[in-house]
Amino acid sequence: MTLLDRPLAEQASAIASGEADAAELLDETLTRIEGRNPAVNAVVETFPDHSREMLEAAPEGPMHGVPVVIKDEWALPWRAQRFGAVELFSAVGPGESGPYRALRDVGAVIAGVANMHEWGASSTGNVSVYGPARNPWDTDRCPGGSSSGSGAAVGARIVAGAVGADGIGSIRYPAAYCGVTGLKPTFGRSAMQGHHLEGSQMIVSGPLCSDAEGCRLLGSALFGEQLERGDPSGLRIGTVAAIADDSAEPVRAACEEAIEALRDETGASVREIELPGVELSGLAAVLVATSEGLNGVTPSKLNEMSPEIGPINRGIAKYRMLMPGSVLERGRAIRTMMRRTLAAAFADVDLIAWPTVPAVAPPLTEPMVELPSGVHTADAVNPRGGGLANLIGIPAVSVPVGFDDGLPIGLQLQAPWGADALLLDAAEAIERATERRFVDAVAPVAQSTEAQAPHS
Amino acid sequence: MPASGDFEAFVPAGLASMGIEADEVELAVMRAMHETYWPAMAGFLDLDLSDVDPEPMADMSQAPQ
Repeated sequence: MTLLDRPLAEQASAIASGEADAAELLDETLTRIEGRNPAVNAVVETFPDHSREMLEAAPEGPMHGVPVVIKDEWALPWRAQRFGAVELFSAVGPGESGPYRALRDVGAVIAGVANMHEWGASSTGNVSVYGPARNPWDTDRCPGGSSSGSGAAVGARIVAGAVGADGIGSIRYPAAYCGVTGLKPTFGRSAMQGHHLEGSQMIVSGPLCSDAEGCRLLGSALFGEQLERGDPSGLRIGTVAAIADDSAEPVRAACEEAIEALRDETGASVREIELPGVELSGLAAVLVATSEGLNGVTPSKLNEMSPEIGPINRGIAKYRMLMPGSVLERGRAIRTMMRRTLAAAFADVDLIAWPTVPAVAPPLTEPMVELPSGVHTADAVNPRGGGLANLIGIPAVSVPVGFDDGLPIGLQLQAPWGADALLLDAAEAIERATERRFVDAVAPVAQSTEAQAPHS
Repeated sequence: MPASGDFEAFVPAGLASMGIEADEVELAVMRAMHETYWPAMAGFLDLDLSDVDPEPMADMSQAPQ
């Protein structure tokens, strides 16, 4: 095991203390990308000269010399974002996006660009102009989307931290599928400048890291303020049967066990709560995101779409144009209703917990999941648990809490607006309670320094 | 619910009215989308949300006032 296999905060600490050399760590990262990435297709572009220039100019910040990758959703001074697609409806170009500046200002080094689902339009990550990223726990499985490469890169221990984006669960789904920790910040707290969907009230940037402390470090960089560690003693945790019950049994059981572990670790109380209307939040989030995504899209642009855009996204883009305004307005009304419902709920509980996704990573070729309610596409059911936080603006974190047949299981914790640090306190408490056995578990792809070919 | 629930009545005519062209593959995707999501969207239209007062100047970074 090398320093590159260690969590993000340990890498930062080793460099700061002089125990490790940042230039050597960057070289090792680039070598690892070359050797291990072909198995997972998580990193779609490297630029060693730019990375080394970043390191040479890096300030003595809290992430000085620490290599990370960044989702293909933001511009870099030397590269425009592609959003996982051959083309976008919005004009884009190279530049200093907010997340780039945030990383640069804390001394981090961008070692590469992470793959993502085409147009950010799925929870699976199985479609991309670069070819799909693959799950490091089983390369025939979905890595989750849309921050597919960010999750797979960290899960494969190519890097210990990655920047993702979350519009409807897009950090938390890959975190759960790939066995890493992913934080969806409170809306508006993390760097978003330069995003091509300017004005979105759903999307946030956020960290995916091998553990919660890494998310605290990288999250603090993206927030531009320190996410201070607090005392999570005496937490009041709410669970919601309406979401948790329609989960695959191993997922539900692992999440319940983790909630009990968190309760025991922090002296918390756990109780079932009702969130009237919560079953509407997933579709409402999809509708609100749809209305945001329609901005600037015209019939002529749709007719001129490149045939290289995947057929699913071509069909979805055109279907979205037919959404009746009355339906979209209902989505916004449900957003208002759920904001009030959750504000009331958070008077009685500090955290709300349920499975991040109802089943583990589905096959890349057929992303279907089997739940108590039947067999569904992953995209049809994942927003049930992932959409609420985006819809109403609250923060959420996905924490690795178990395995089902060798595939990771994620528990999602949600907190009131602005309580991002509390989520990381709770995530760290789960890590203590489980003796880090889930965050330190090593995916098959990462168990050898040799690249492993995909199974198919 | 209006005829919107009928793919053949809703989607091809809707596309034509907007001048949007679609090939067979795209139509097949749209059909799958419609079958998956339209029933729930129609359910939204049946909801009584009359007691949900608007949230003027809603700020997603904060709890509702």
